[in-house]
Amino acid sequence: MNLKDCHNFSDFRKLAQKRLPSPIFHYIDGAADDEVTYARNTSAFDDVDLVPNVLRGVEEVDLSTTIFGKKLDLPFYLSPTALQRLFHYDGERAVGRAAKKFNTMFGVSALATVSVEEISSMIDTPKMFQFYFHKDRGLNDSCLERAKAANFDVMALTVDTITGGNRERDLRTGFTSPPKLTLASLYSFATKPMWGINYLTKGKFELPHLQDFVKEGTDVNSSIGNYFSTMLDQSMNWKDAENLCSKWGGHFALKGIMSVEDAKRAADIGCTGIMVSNHGGRQLDGSRAPFDQLAEIVDAVGDKLDVICEGGIHRGTHMLKALSLGAKACSGGRLYLYALAAGGQAGVERALEKYKAELVRDMKLMGCTKISDLNRSNLRFRK
Amino acid sequence: MDLKDCYNFDDFRNLAKKKLPSPIFHYIDGGADDETTLIRNTEAFNQCDLVPNILASVGKPDLSTTIFGKKIDMPIFLSPCAMQRLYHHEGDKASARAAEKFGTFYSMSTMANNTIEEISNISGGPKLFQLYVHKDQSITDDLIDRCKRSGFNGMCLTVDTLVAGNRERDHRTGFTTPPKLTLQSLMSFAMHPSWVFNYLTHGKFKLANVASKTDKGTNIAKSVIEYINEQYDPSMNWKDAEYCIKKWNGPFALKGVMSVDDAKRAIDIGCTAIMISNHGGRQLDGSRSPFDQIKAISDAVGDKLEIILDGGVRRGTHVLKALAAGAKACSFGKMFLFSLAAGGQQGVEHLLKNMHDEIERNMVLMGCTNLKELNSSKLIYRN
Repeated sequence: MNLKDCHNFSDFRKLAQKRLPSPIFHYIDGAADDEVTYARNTSAFDDVDLVPNVLRGVEEVDLSTTIFGKKLDLPFYLSPTALQRLFHYDGERAVGRAAKKFNTMFGVSALATVSVEEISSMIDTPKMFQFYFHKDRGLNDSCLERAKAANFDVMALTVDTITGGNRERDLRTGFTSPPKLTLASLYSFATKPMWGINYLTKGKFELPHLQDFVKEGTDVNSSIGNYFSTMLDQSMNWKDAENLCSKWGGHFALKGIMSVEDAKRAADIGCTGIMVSNHGGRQLDGSRAPFDQLAEIVDAVGDKLDVICEGGIHRGTHMLKALSLGAKACSGGRLYLYALAAGGQAGVERALEKYKAELVRDMKLMGCTKISDLNRSNLRFRK
Repeated sequence: MDLKDCYNFDDFRNLAKKKLPSPIFHYIDGGADDETTLIRNTEAFNQCDLVPNILASVGKPDLSTTIFGKKIDMPIFLSPCAMQRLYHHEGDKASARAAEKFGTFYSMSTMANNTIEEISNISGGPKLFQLYVHKDQSITDDLIDRCKRSGFNGMCLTVDTLVAGNRERDHRTGFTTPPKLTLQSLMSFAMHPSWVFNYLTHGKFKLANVASKTDKGTNIAKSVIEYINEQYDPSMNWKDAEYCIKKWNGPFALKGVMSVDDAKRAIDIGCTAIMISNHGGRQLDGSRSPFDQIKAISDAVGDKLEIILDGGVRRGTHVLKALAAGAKACSFGKMFLFSLAAGGQQGVEHLLKNMHDEIERNMVLMGCTNLKELNSSKLIYRN
């Protein structure tokens, strides 16, 4: 199996599984507890059907959309995800360049393995910095200042990781601290020598946004769950978010909003966007899927801020459904991470090309030529 | 396994799978993207139940109905399907003869391997022609004129194929252009020597109706997908449809209408019928199934034009449910293509006999003497 055999999400996933040592693959692929929410995030899209209109004349399709004051060529962007150099030695460099090529937004995680300065020198297209609220206020200030100095367009505060989710696959594979090197995981690293060689020879693994402040997390052996639980400030509240928002002074979003109440409050404290997200099902299992919750939130705040649907998206038609309900854009992590693992920058570009082609084709089949043509009249819920 | 062992859809499908090289089988069997719509098309029938009336003294029920100005002996007919010679060396001739024998419509695709004239010479039964609007208008005009001269009874314009669907099975099997002959697909042809023998010894494969007008698609190496994307006019609009209706000046349907608004508009431009269809789930995945949508459409326009339900029909009871929900008749593609592959004309006749007997038996069990007695009072929806 090769990149050219990858036609869709599950193909990229399969190839990633081939290329990655299993603890790393399962870190991407897994979710919290029984992974019920993770599965629902995608299956939620099947409870509603698209109703196309015909004979509309659809030679040219414009997929562009504007979020956070930035015009993107695509109605979806790449969510911030941690530790990308674990998945491919080029990590954020590969993803950033691919995003630039398609002129869509690139989300950079606080737990990125390439610095905001380097990314900013590399790409001039829209960039989002994803921020965790740490106990160490010095670290918080440093992140904000560096992102501002590096001309990032949007700051997104993640609000659904106040403690680490229970990712049981990681417990089993040994993606924990201290690393539980079982026979199975040792074998897995040994049978993927290319990953090992690249990991060891293509530059040191670092977390550049944190390393001046913390010891934890700069070592890959420390688990993400542990990091969330020990480093982040669990007393974070609306006041803190409001302060960050005004300190940043630009486009500001809360990532991980699920209730209508919170969405309204986000608008009140000055947010210009929210990501309706459950962290890809990786935090609270049994929580509601973004797509299931989208309509209520759009009805409440859709005219006040940009609502982004994040999670479970595998297909162009999933995006069309979310956009029809009123999302301004969609985003995803696994959407491009498997492709990154499968083939670095070329992999991410192939994935973006596939999704873009799907969107163009599906828009034509829907009888739509621009994103604003999509609305609820072209959806029917089954129940 | 033999024709006489074929009692239902699955049996014909299994036999077709045995007889056909796998790329060809999967071209028939596959749908778009994740095939969720393909699955839903049939599953939708299970969301409602038939409610029989007893002691109705039905005797032998009358199964006849009238569509496209022709009385037919049962409320089902063969949907237009491209390139039938790939499935059996007699192709359209076999389907047309079988349909005539059972007193119902055979439909010819623009991309048939036989000419309009050939078929009209061998079959005096009711005939429907399926039209695509080509970029080159003289091709469209020529097709309409020839159908008129050859005594076709009805014409349908396909409106859900402005761009080809994403049929991923075809990417994998190599049913693409240029033909990707993988070891696997070569093997598959080698394992079906009688198919290959018949294919090679029964005349050249060509898209007979457009052969003189274009060199595209006359070679099997040019796949359907490419023909669709190159030849069909993606700017097709309501004016173009109206033009075809005026030029044809007889019973006319739009095939692929899914929204209520479009159904109303079809009346305005002079259609006498619509075919509710999503192209057998082969175009826009995630789109609504015909049976899920029929009630809304029949409530809106059922008294003004003939509604034909196309897609997902596998059983006599499916037909009864569709008729009770407002259809005048049902049509199907995959089901008869499998029977064609399974046994040529004899196979299609065997299928039509089975379906006739199922419909007749089920009418008796429902306590109905003619199709008009099937109405919404006979159906209860589960939700």
